[in-house]
Amino acid sequence: MEDQLLGIKNAAMSLILDSKDQKELEEVMLQFLGRSGQLTLALKELPKLPIEKRAEVGTLANDVKKTVEEAIDRKRAELSHQKVEEKKAKIDITNPGILPPLGHLHLITQAIAEISEIFAQIGFTRVRYPEVEWDWYAFEALNFPDNHPARDDWETFFIKTEPNPKKGPMILTPHTSSGQIREMERKQKPPIRMLNIAKCYRRQSDVSHTPMFHQFEGLVVDEGISITHLKGTLDYFAKSYFGENRRTRIRPYQFQFTEPSFEVDVTCGVCNGKARLPSLRSGVSGQGCRLCKEGWLEMGGAGMVHPNVLKAGGIDPEKYTGFAFGWGVERVLMMKEGIEIDDLRLLYSNKIDFLEQF
Amino acid sequence: MNIKIIDSLLKEYLITKATAKIIAEKLSLCSVSVEKIEKIAEDLVYNLEITSNRPDLMSALGIAKEAAAILPRFRIQASFHPLANKRPNEKGIPELQIEIKNDSKLVNRVCAALMEVKIGQSPKKIKDRLEAMGIRSLNNLIDITNYVMRETGHPCHVFDADRLGKTIIIRESRKGEKIKTLDGKVHILPGGDIVADNGKGEIIDLLGIMGTENSVVTDKTKKILFFIDNNNPHKIRKTSMSLGIRSEAAIINEKGLDPELAMEALFRGIELYQKLAKGKLLAKIKDIYPNKPKPKTIKVEKAKINKVIGIEVSLKESAEILKSLGFNVIEKNNFLEVDVPTSRINDVELPEDIIEEIARIYGYFKLPSILPPLNEIESFHMDKNEFYWEERVKNTLKNWGFTEAYTNSMISEEILEGPSEDAIRLKNPLNEDLVYLRRTLIPSLLNVVRENKNKEQLKIFEIANIYEKRLEDLPRERRLIAGIIKKPNVSFFEAKGIVEQLLNDCNIKKIVFRTSEYGGIASSIYIQNDYLGEIELLDANIVDFEFNFEKIIKRANLNKIYKPLAKYPPIIEDLAIIADENVKTADIVEEIYIQSNLVREVSLLNQYRDTRTFHIIYRDEEGNLTAEEVKKIREKIITSLEGKFHAKLKK
Repeated sequence: MEDQLLGIKNAAMSLILDSKDQKELEEVMLQFLGRSGQLTLALKELPKLPIEKRAEVGTLANDVKKTVEEAIDRKRAELSHQKVEEKKAKIDITNPGILPPLGHLHLITQAIAEISEIFAQIGFTRVRYPEVEWDWYAFEALNFPDNHPARDDWETFFIKTEPNPKKGPMILTPHTSSGQIREMERKQKPPIRMLNIAKCYRRQSDVSHTPMFHQFEGLVVDEGISITHLKGTLDYFAKSYFGENRRTRIRPYQFQFTEPSFEVDVTCGVCNGKARLPSLRSGVSGQGCRLCKEGWLEMGGAGMVHPNVLKAGGIDPEKYTGFAFGWGVERVLMMKEGIEIDDLRLLYSNKIDFLEQF
Repeated sequence: MNIKIIDSLLKEYLITKATAKIIAEKLSLCSVSVEKIEKIAEDLVYNLEITSNRPDLMSALGIAKEAAAILPRFRIQASFHPLANKRPNEKGIPELQIEIKNDSKLVNRVCAALMEVKIGQSPKKIKDRLEAMGIRSLNNLIDITNYVMRETGHPCHVFDADRLGKTIIIRESRKGEKIKTLDGKVHILPGGDIVADNGKGEIIDLLGIMGTENSVVTDKTKKILFFIDNNNPHKIRKTSMSLGIRSEAAIINEKGLDPELAMEALFRGIELYQKLAKGKLLAKIKDIYPNKPKPKTIKVEKAKINKVIGIEVSLKESAEILKSLGFNVIEKNNFLEVDVPTSRINDVELPEDIIEEIARIYGYFKLPSILPPLNEIESFHMDKNEFYWEERVKNTLKNWGFTEAYTNSMISEEILEGPSEDAIRLKNPLNEDLVYLRRTLIPSLLNVVRENKNKEQLKIFEIANIYEKRLEDLPRERRLIAGIIKKPNVSFFEAKGIVEQLLNDCNIKKIVFRTSEYGGIASSIYIQNDYLGEIELLDANIVDFEFNFEKIIKRANLNKIYKPLAKYPPIIEDLAIIADENVKTADIVEEIYIQSNLVREVSLLNQYRDTRTFHIIYRDEEGNLTAEEVKKIREKIITSLEGKFHAKLKK
């Protein structure tokens, strides 16, 4: 029995050593360790031995089995390493990789994601309100006089239907500001810190306007909110979205639903707010910047919420003040360095070659 | 609107040594935006953007007055030098023989002067100045009206007095009346427009917008009626927009001008006619002034000023600022009483308006920049947040190779599906491609496929609203997700797989696919019995899906359920079943499942004609499964499939 076991061991070891590939090695393994392998069968004979010999031979048998198994494992590792080495010698690693599928999110989606994230950091709650709105939310409650040009057929889309006796004509909302009143109704009581991003519609189409576009609207209402807080928020946004070295300024402007109203400018990223491009030669002033106006780019409107708007939203303007801003997603996107689209309509043309660039 | 004013003209009314660049910079910060400064000949041109509430700034005089208030705040010396023109001498001149009948609902004030003139070219200085300010020079009679408009801000008109009758009746036009404007174009009036009638039913002017050919000056003109009308701005806007006559006069008049300015402009015009056209007043100046602006006083509290601005600005400083802008101010203990000048009467109404005046001149740039304090905030629930799920699903599709499209919510009648009376229709569409609000996204995405027909393979999607009409209410806006896969011999199951896996990712269970009632190679998607949407193989190369995204958001969840890992190994086998091809795979799978709770997973491995191979995993959580146990279940499966579907095990 001992001799038989040692014979099996020797035969197995030499065959393992001679195996040239995984397949041969597996065959060797089956030959000795398989269900009817030589070693397996030999081990089955163990119980037939006289009791006094069983322990001794049993130990030997286990040693043989262990030795053979270990030899197989070693050889297996050796063969697989050899395979990789062989492959390495053959492959051209400059051939293209096997790419997983990768599509593209629309530029607007990407901009909205970034804007939302920036405002989420400072506690703005994102909301969405109707695109088809009553005049009340879009104009009347926002302090637009009856005959304001924005309310006429040339600028705003009207829906062919009977006006509501209380809320007036049905329109496509021309700005996200209609969300201001909706948000005041939802919250009922300040504090309000809203970010409303939505599709808007205006009756114009040219290189810088599309009839459907996107705005993002911020609204903050609380006790003690002042122009300084609006400035703080604008600076935070401009630095976050455009870059740490950008500055903002507010200038007088006019909107119906804010008083005071502002136009918000950001320093130009091309000329760095200098209105001139750096010259290639020292001591000579460079060319004038073609992108901006005297070093500044207009970002959009803002202002302190008009007391009539707070009233319309059921908020006491004596107790609370607020600020609001509403800017074009397309506009801030275009203002980001590196993206200069000469015709905004391209954004919604859905040309795949365009969409796949981003 | 944008308006051009030249530096040399501005400096006639603004006495300062400040350069144009400095003036522009300070005006932009505290008043109107100077978009650029151009150099034309020897002059500099300010390109100003004036907001519609400030028609008082659409002139050299207006800007000079504003700059004179602003520049000293930056320690730059500046003062306003008003127009010196006085009422001309009317001694011994007869009354005007032309009777002017006004309608106070249409016109606030009419100022008119009859003059003898000599037509000719304007002097070079006037010509150059007008051209630099974007106005074409024609002859001295017309040039003066434009020059006065740029100086004072009030549009003016000049008639050939010999072409007028004995009366001028100001009235509303009747619908369909025809006029020929001085540019030779014929217009049919919409009705309700402000016109002048010569008493014979003939229209001789479209007031505030453009003169008519039958009454304007010609090179034979010897007598003029210099005419300034201060009109109802809303009527001007309506007429100008509907006729598409966007003359500068119309654009200024529709903002609403101070009627006090009208007489100032008339005096200035008379002076210029005397100087440049040998003008001689032939009749006493006519002034019909039914609608005088009502004086207005506003009380502003100190506390309110500081609350809105956010820092302390003293009442004294506030009062000084307001006075520099032409407001009369009485300073009280803790508030100001402010009289609004007529030039700002339409614009300044509330304490907030006054605060704006104080704050902008004080300087927004001087205010600190502070984030609003965060005292209280709504709690945030990610798994209920629609924006979270929308972003997640979009990213998932992107990572499966889909490209996102943004198509217009407004569509043409051509791609509208279903009866048009059920769709939301625009009253004033921009063009025939944008008439209805859509009720499905698929036709828009198919348009995208068509517009990219050079692409043999395409995977696109969109998440957007559709609009369902409701009675006497806003439409129900429903968010849908839709996608299209285009490739040669596309399989229905590619789209089905996308839908299944998207729902899996949202942790939504119990998805059921039923034969679509729309026919074709299509399926309706349900979650249990809740209808979600459709998958449809449109042709050999296009498969699409569209479903309700709101229902996804409602059911999507981030629930995590832990199941202990299996302790005992499974037994796995593949069964080849022969069954009629009309028998549904889902029914066979279901039937296999219900035979034993030891059947853990059943899936279709492949199908060839009537033979389907099912991959079955058996496992007992309590102990090792024996071949005997599995054999029993297998036999039960085969018997039940035979009984139910006449199916057989392939040997």
